[in-house]
Amino acid sequence: MNELIPLMVIIPIIAALILNALGRKNSIVKTLSFVVAILLPLIPIISNYGFHYFGGHSPLIDNENLLSSLPSLISNVSLSTFHIGINYSFEGLQKILLFFLFIVGFLAIFTAINERKRISGQYMFLIFMGLSSVTAMLLSDDIFHMYIFFEIAIISQVGIILSSNDNQKYETAMKYMILGSIGGPILLTGIGFLLALVGSVNITDITYMIKNGLIDSYSPVFLFSFGLIFFGWIYSVGLPPFHTIKSAVYSKATPSGSALLQALSVVIFISFGLAILRIYSHLPFVHGIIIFFSLAGMILSITMALIETDLRRIIGFLAVGELGYIGLGFGIGTNLSITAALFQGINELIITALLFIGFGAIIQLTKISNITKLGGLIENIPKMSIMVLLGGFAMAGVPPLNGFQSKLMLIQSALNANFPELAIIMILISIVTFMTFIKIFHAAYLKPKPKDLIVEKSLVPRSAIFTVGVLLIICIVLGLMPDLVVKELTTFVGGLI
Amino acid sequence: MINTQIAALLCSGSFILIGLYAAIFLDNIIKKIIGLSFIEEGANLFLITLAYRSDGVVPIFLPGMSPDWFVANSAYPLPHALVLTSIVIGASTLAVMLAIAMVLYKKHGSLSAFKILGDNHE
Repeated sequence: MNELIPLMVIIPIIAALILNALGRKNSIVKTLSFVVAILLPLIPIISNYGFHYFGGHSPLIDNENLLSSLPSLISNVSLSTFHIGINYSFEGLQKILLFFLFIVGFLAIFTAINERKRISGQYMFLIFMGLSSVTAMLLSDDIFHMYIFFEIAIISQVGIILSSNDNQKYETAMKYMILGSIGGPILLTGIGFLLALVGSVNITDITYMIKNGLIDSYSPVFLFSFGLIFFGWIYSVGLPPFHTIKSAVYSKATPSGSALLQALSVVIFISFGLAILRIYSHLPFVHGIIIFFSLAGMILSITMALIETDLRRIIGFLAVGELGYIGLGFGIGTNLSITAALFQGINELIITALLFIGFGAIIQLTKISNITKLGGLIENIPKMSIMVLLGGFAMAGVPPLNGFQSKLMLIQSALNANFPELAIIMILISIVTFMTFIKIFHAAYLKPKPKDLIVEKSLVPRSAIFTVGVLLIICIVLGLMPDLVVKELTTFVGGLI
Repeated sequence: MINTQIAALLCSGSFILIGLYAAIFLDNIIKKIIGLSFIEEGANLFLITLAYRSDGVVPIFLPGMSPDWFVANSAYPLPHALVLTSIVIGASTLAVMLAIAMVLYKKHGSLSAFKILGDNHE
């Protein structure tokens, strides 16, 4: 049923448009959002692997009748293998990653619906547009198509920030937009250089040209295109020097909004990262550059997290730092490391959502995010605190949780690829992550409650407890049975490399 | 006489550099946004320039045209389609930025990026 492939993008877009039109009709907006959000994870599960060619435009080589009627300038050259239109590819990675993305999306929507008495159709519009745009990026085999949906994702992310109650949201949104408006066109110019050299923006066509020596893949134009596209990538995912603005973005949104923003960022990271690997991995310096920026992201983010006192900013820095592990896996560039990086991406999506929503309960209770002014909250929210503790363990890589499995795979892949120094750095950063997490956990839950701390509500919403519980169950299941996803990912990476 | 394609490429490069200068060094947020718009348009002009073919024809295959002649002489249509989409996206981001700038001006009574964005937010 390959017709289901485009529906993963189309259904959220249609839902977004309808919800936007419904505006402030609260109950209809809530019901429709819930129904669409709960149906979305089912589509990747029931959809078959394969391709979808928009407009039915498969490569000419697949259509002999049409090919024979065309001039020899087209039919006798490699142009006949090119993809004429946009095509979506749906394989093991897309199936698993989209399933978990939609699960996180559903839980974020479920939490938002239950936390707010009134919810606007416009807010739901932004969430569904964000989901559909990153889905399109992951499915698409066309780098320009990815760029367009990347820009839509940026606008959706800005909208999600603006819908929070933070008094600095406009300033952060403006900074993010300014940087995005530099990063976006630079990415577009890089795509333009590739187009000038290859004549196509389809990634499969570009790699075909490179593999068959039809273009000079060491020419200055090609190298320049790498520089520009790489710049767009590090901006989009928050690697240095954009790690501070990215963590600020997370800290300004609502807890469920932050969970979703991080999920979108992970999918953007993986989509562009894989595109860069497919096109440029033959260049000898590419892996080194990816490793350098990933390491810098991990080290700078964890350092910032250690000195920061704002709870939301700390989680934001930890989330950005964890992305570095995915980059390291891509940078090492072996089958095992890329598989581990993709597994880490899926885990990152789940764990950070858990932590954002879990720690968000503290801010809902106290209206305070400064950890020096918090304390003793384990008495107020014992269940939530235990679940958050386990989520933190998962992030730090404590067995038998999912973070442990993916980080162990990454360390093994670094050792197998003769990068023992990277393995050591990964272990050290995991330890520092663990320390940072324990610091904030102690500050918020364990240390004596300050006298002036006022807990406004006695209970956190049940929806938040449910959401964190479900995410924790996923962490445990993936930790105990990593083969549920690793087998599919290994097959996908085997075909990719 | 300078080649049209080279001139357009230089022009697009100038647009991007002027835009980068405005976005990075000018203090007024509206001027920054104008600079960002310059970068966007520079990128679009660059893509359009790729499609240019000297003495070429519009890439529409009409009855009576020889396919070989058409392939050899038509401009490249793909960048045109890409730029059309890119312009729409650029207009959307521009609108969002201007809307946020309006709110920031109402909140701070100033459009100085140093005053509004230069605090210790990040």
